[in-house]
Amino acid sequence: MRRRRFLQVAGVAGAGVAAGCGTGTPDHLLPYLVPSDDLVPGIPTWYASTCRECPAGCGILVKAREGRAIKVEGNPHHPVNRGRLCARGQAALQGLYDPDRVTQPRKREGNVWKPITWDDAETEIATALGAAASAGADRVAFVTGAESGTLDRFYDVFLGAFRSTRRLRYEAFAFEPLREASRLTFGLATVPRYDFASARYVLSFGADFLETWLSPTEFGRGFASTHGYRDGRMAKFVAVEPRRGMTGFNADEWVAPKPGTEGMLALGIASSLMRQGKARVAGVDADRLRAILARFDPGTVAEATEVEEAVIERLAREFGDAQPSLAVAGGVAHQHRAATQTAVAVNLLNYIAGNVGRTVRFLSSSPWERVSRYADMRSLVAAMNEGGVDVALVHGTNPAFTLPATAGFVEAFAKVRLKVAFASHPDETAELADLVLPDHTPLEQWGDIEPIAGVRSLVQPVMMPVHDTKQTADVLLSVAQKAGKSVAPAGVATARDLLAAGRPERDFDRLLQAGGEFAEAAPRAVRLTTDFARLGWALPAFDGPADGLVLLAVPHVGLYDGRGANKGWLQELPDPTTKITWQTWVEVHPETATRLGVRSGDLVTVSAGERQVEAVVCVFPGVRRDVVAMPIGQGHTAYGRLARGRGASPLALFAADATDPSGALAFCQTRVTLTRTGGRRPLATTEGSPRQHDRGIARAVAFTAIAAGHAPEEEHEALTESERTAIDSAEASQRRRAELGRYGEDNPKWEMAIDLSRCTGCSACVAACYAENNIPVVGESQVVRSREMAWIRIERFYDGFAGGENDLPTGTDFEVRQIPMLCQQCANAPCEPVCPVYAAYHTPDGLNGQIYNRCVGTRYCANNCPYKVRYFNWWDYGHPASDEYAFPGTLSWLLNPDVTVRTKGVMEKCTFCVQRIRFAQNDARVRGATLRDGDVTPACAQTCPADAITFGDAHDPNSRVSRKKLDERGYHVFQQLNTKPGITYLRRVIRSGEA
Amino acid sequence: MAAAAPPMPRGAPAGEPTYGDVNRDIIKTLAPPGKRWFLGMAIVLSGLAFGAFCWALQLRAGIGVTNYMPPIFWGTYITTFVFWVGIAHSGTLISAILFLFRSGWRSAVYRASEAMTVFAVMTAGLFPVLHLGRAWFAYWVFPYPNVRGLWANFKSPLVWDVFAISTYLTVSATFLFMGLIPDIAAVRDQATGWRRRVYGILSFGWRNSDREWHHFMRMYLFLAALSTPLVLSVHSVVSWDFAMGIVPGWHATIFAPYFVAGAIFSGCGMVITILVPLRKLFQLERYLRVRHFENLAKLCLLTSMIVSYAYITEYFVAWYSGNPIERASFYNRAFGGYWWASWIMITCNAFVPQLLWFKKIRTSIPTLFVISLFINIGMWFERFVIIVTSLSHEFEPWQWTSAYRPNWIELGILLGSFCWFSMWFLLFVKFFPSVAISEVKEALPPPGREHGRGGH
Repeated sequence: MRRRRFLQVAGVAGAGVAAGCGTGTPDHLLPYLVPSDDLVPGIPTWYASTCRECPAGCGILVKAREGRAIKVEGNPHHPVNRGRLCARGQAALQGLYDPDRVTQPRKREGNVWKPITWDDAETEIATALGAAASAGADRVAFVTGAESGTLDRFYDVFLGAFRSTRRLRYEAFAFEPLREASRLTFGLATVPRYDFASARYVLSFGADFLETWLSPTEFGRGFASTHGYRDGRMAKFVAVEPRRGMTGFNADEWVAPKPGTEGMLALGIASSLMRQGKARVAGVDADRLRAILARFDPGTVAEATEVEEAVIERLAREFGDAQPSLAVAGGVAHQHRAATQTAVAVNLLNYIAGNVGRTVRFLSSSPWERVSRYADMRSLVAAMNEGGVDVALVHGTNPAFTLPATAGFVEAFAKVRLKVAFASHPDETAELADLVLPDHTPLEQWGDIEPIAGVRSLVQPVMMPVHDTKQTADVLLSVAQKAGKSVAPAGVATARDLLAAGRPERDFDRLLQAGGEFAEAAPRAVRLTTDFARLGWALPAFDGPADGLVLLAVPHVGLYDGRGANKGWLQELPDPTTKITWQTWVEVHPETATRLGVRSGDLVTVSAGERQVEAVVCVFPGVRRDVVAMPIGQGHTAYGRLARGRGASPLALFAADATDPSGALAFCQTRVTLTRTGGRRPLATTEGSPRQHDRGIARAVAFTAIAAGHAPEEEHEALTESERTAIDSAEASQRRRAELGRYGEDNPKWEMAIDLSRCTGCSACVAACYAENNIPVVGESQVVRSREMAWIRIERFYDGFAGGENDLPTGTDFEVRQIPMLCQQCANAPCEPVCPVYAAYHTPDGLNGQIYNRCVGTRYCANNCPYKVRYFNWWDYGHPASDEYAFPGTLSWLLNPDVTVRTKGVMEKCTFCVQRIRFAQNDARVRGATLRDGDVTPACAQTCPADAITFGDAHDPNSRVSRKKLDERGYHVFQQLNTKPGITYLRRVIRSGEA
Repeated sequence: MAAAAPPMPRGAPAGEPTYGDVNRDIIKTLAPPGKRWFLGMAIVLSGLAFGAFCWALQLRAGIGVTNYMPPIFWGTYITTFVFWVGIAHSGTLISAILFLFRSGWRSAVYRASEAMTVFAVMTAGLFPVLHLGRAWFAYWVFPYPNVRGLWANFKSPLVWDVFAISTYLTVSATFLFMGLIPDIAAVRDQATGWRRRVYGILSFGWRNSDREWHHFMRMYLFLAALSTPLVLSVHSVVSWDFAMGIVPGWHATIFAPYFVAGAIFSGCGMVITILVPLRKLFQLERYLRVRHFENLAKLCLLTSMIVSYAYITEYFVAWYSGNPIERASFYNRAFGGYWWASWIMITCNAFVPQLLWFKKIRTSIPTLFVISLFINIGMWFERFVIIVTSLSHEFEPWQWTSAYRPNWIELGILLGSFCWFSMWFLLFVKFFPSVAISEVKEALPPPGREHGRGGH
């Protein structure tokens, strides 16, 4: 026996013993028995791949330590996201390691699941497919999520081999009105590329482009770069929507038209633009447009939309003057029965303002073109109902949850003879299937997708599969072989072979290392067509009583269409708008709440006729008086321990046949009534006071003032005369002994600058921090007790309106101030001297250290912290034997080995990712190099789509952070306390009023 | 033992007792306990067991079993800690300071209040440990040589606290025991069997000689002088747990005197609460005179006025500082989510004691008892207000809450602390004279002379 062989055997035996013999399947102590030569314990390996948490297709780099993926970060070279990632992308790991995953193939027998071998399952499918194919054409259906690239084409080939074309790429948010509108206005049924970065003026008709709309990370980056204040320039952003969500929070101005009239308002603006002579169209187009728009004079539009005439005129002027500008339609404005009209109106607006070809560009293709329409799904349901489908394969999508119950998918699906779910999670659709074949999660898969024309972004496994799972394409290849069909070229046995497509290995490896091929596609020139003229311009109808409240169903920034619901990080991520976690709430305007006699925390029944759901009231000033809003994503009946039985889905209120001209399901279709159930459920919100009580925490400055060269006036003069005197004398007395807050000039002094003019409040940093720092998820009951552990939080204050210090705004003219709050790493920290055991201490490089195993848990430091950024381990989140263990099952695999898992009774807090600092320092030392600015990036700064966070050494006068600190907008929070924070915030700049 | 005395009439005692009466009446309290004592002990022990159970749950699962909610990181436990430390203060005040001031009336009440001091400190001392996230590492706050090369942080008021409390416990226990020596000897003289031996050892062979008395009185004076600054310092240090923090509502120079006055106020209240049933149950009306209670009541009234003045000063300073955050904190204190706690505090500590201006009320034992209960409640709430209300409304509005309420675990431990204290007290009254025999005798005319009137 050779040495290596001996070690292999010994390894397996050892692992078997360690796992407890007799379980049948030996656990692996290390994922590799024979580690590859370049695997050095302690040194991470990075794999380039593509995020599949939504169809946007961001490039990712996955950090693997000792063979396990522990962190997802953006791929800096990827054209979509340029190194940034949203909260959903960060949480992809929780899908990979979810303890609720399907771990082996199983077959339904009666009402019980029986394990089945892969071989048997494949044979059964092959037989059924063969029978279906011989019974006739189109008797096999294959439903996937949005797919593109090699595997997508392979699925079609596979289906073709069984004489079927019933292929659906089903997405709950399929942006059909956008595609239809593009077809009607420009003759291309596609989604154009929106270039936020070059827009000088952004007018959004409901589009939540920083949350879920098309490609939020990409748009977040572009938006921040144009809307962030820099050198006297910034774009203006006006949000036109009946509900002001997180995207709307970033708006300089909120215009709230009546729900359903957004398109009309766009036409009104367009019409006004023409009449003001700012249109950039001429000739026939101009005449035709003028004729069409004549009906939409500001007076008429103002009456219908409840937006003042002057505002319409002003928006038109500003929109026309800013070159280029950009108008987008989406979100709640593009969910009602006239969604296509809205999108057409916005297209026309862009066309008239001359934005088409500049900020709105049409490439040769878009992945959205191929995404199925709602109508396709409905015809599949009809076919299944009629018994026209013998075999249904479902992969990577969950129509049983995301379709309204009235669509009848569940009943129709039941009529299919063999239902196969290729699912990594036991979701609602998988629960209905006859065979559940555990699928690789995207982090274990091979694949490639085309998020943008010209970009081929590769998906590759970043570690060995966690369970006995198989990639769907591999299963299908094997099924085809068993059925005797040829679906792939000879020699192709796996998905990887399909991707490599005969390329030399070295080429393919290079491609994998880069994450794909990123070519730039040339835009196509488009011309205005006349098809849209046939559209009726009537305002959309809403079902339900006339005095009801229009229900807006809002995609959830964390849960998306519900697919994030079994991920603790996303459930516990405070909704950026309401700051609620774990629950389903219904947003009610403060005055409407008074009228209805409901308070935040009251349970209400939301009824649309016979259909009802229960939700908690959240009194929220960002909705119109005549609407209420509910998030989509909760209300699962399966899917896992966190998702099941939690909250409710507004989809349950919908009629399946309410569609817009494009055939898309209208999510905003009905008026509802709210009835108190009499019960209460404390809101699991992280919000304390929604007002900052003039304490100057999240500060802003008017664009007009700062652009004119005035230093930001201290609109919140936080220092009183006596405070100033006290600080001066305290500093003077301390200076005599030592330079306060300076701990050695030879060491770096780590500091951070956060530009509030760029921060959008998207909360990606929060999720990244959970991933990097092993932060436990605490659950609804603990969030109710304010015991959430997030080291960084986004505070959201309402400001800039007339009203008392405890009032919520009732009009639309309020500002939203968002500020990421994390440990300020004070140089003169109040937390340090009060610790009796030196658990809180100051490191030589300026950090507030926290020694977990020294901490006895007096909690004095937390009391004395004015920023309230210290978090206490109320329970034993870190001990596997504890009832509250936060990392059960395979979830513990994602723990960052560089960060201590904290035990009960100790205090913890942001460390500026000290493990990353030390890694970079050690790495530099090993390389014999000195640390350069930018070598260290904390997880929050790394992922920030808006690039709002700058980190570096403040002792280096040339570092980016040193320069940012000197910015005229810079300030410290609670400066009067003389804590000398290591975080400098840069004021938000608000460009309200005339621009 | 002398011949049986005529039964003591109930109610107001008539006539001065003789030395023999004193010995008999007071040592009678040490007689084998009756059913009522055992019943009391059973109740107390079950309460203590429940408290211990609650603590066991907390140790096992974590502080999460309480209802603490950030930013309120301190709640019932620290409130109760300060409450018990405060209770401890009047004991030393009465025994040491009033001794130095030669206030004769203290002799009847000082033993009970001194015992109360020791037991209250023993109770208070539990809480800083009990509230820790990792109570099993509580010893890390002591500066002792260790292989880890770690040391306590002397900048932290919590370390000062450790010293203050342990010093106070040592000195007050020594003081209590010192004062007991002649009385233990008196008990020894009447005891038989093994009790005699035990009391003999505990009395250090006291023989009642002039020389012994001379030394005893010196020592007593020394200890009294040593304890006196502690009355002021210990609670000052406890107050610095708060005043050294930057929390609005805590960070105030007034805290040390304010806390000391409050401590004496609460201590006197507690002395009344304890002495009234003691006097009744052991028929000590001849020794614990209404006069004594009236004096205690006057002390309550005085300290209540000081405390009320401190309340007014706090609000005044908050307003006068011009600091909006300080102002907001105090506005919140009176009218915010915990308004009820503040108003309970003000009612009990500032308004109710005003009744003590009336002699009729001062001399009515039942009324005094009720008022003393109000004082106890009020002073517990004072600490609750200072701790919880201030923490609930600090600098960062995003982290404000007023949802915290103690839950059953916290209340169980609070109950347990009362039972722990009562257990010691119940044991004490059965093993040691709870009224100072020798000092009571001192105040009586010596035997062989005519009652009072300066003698021959």
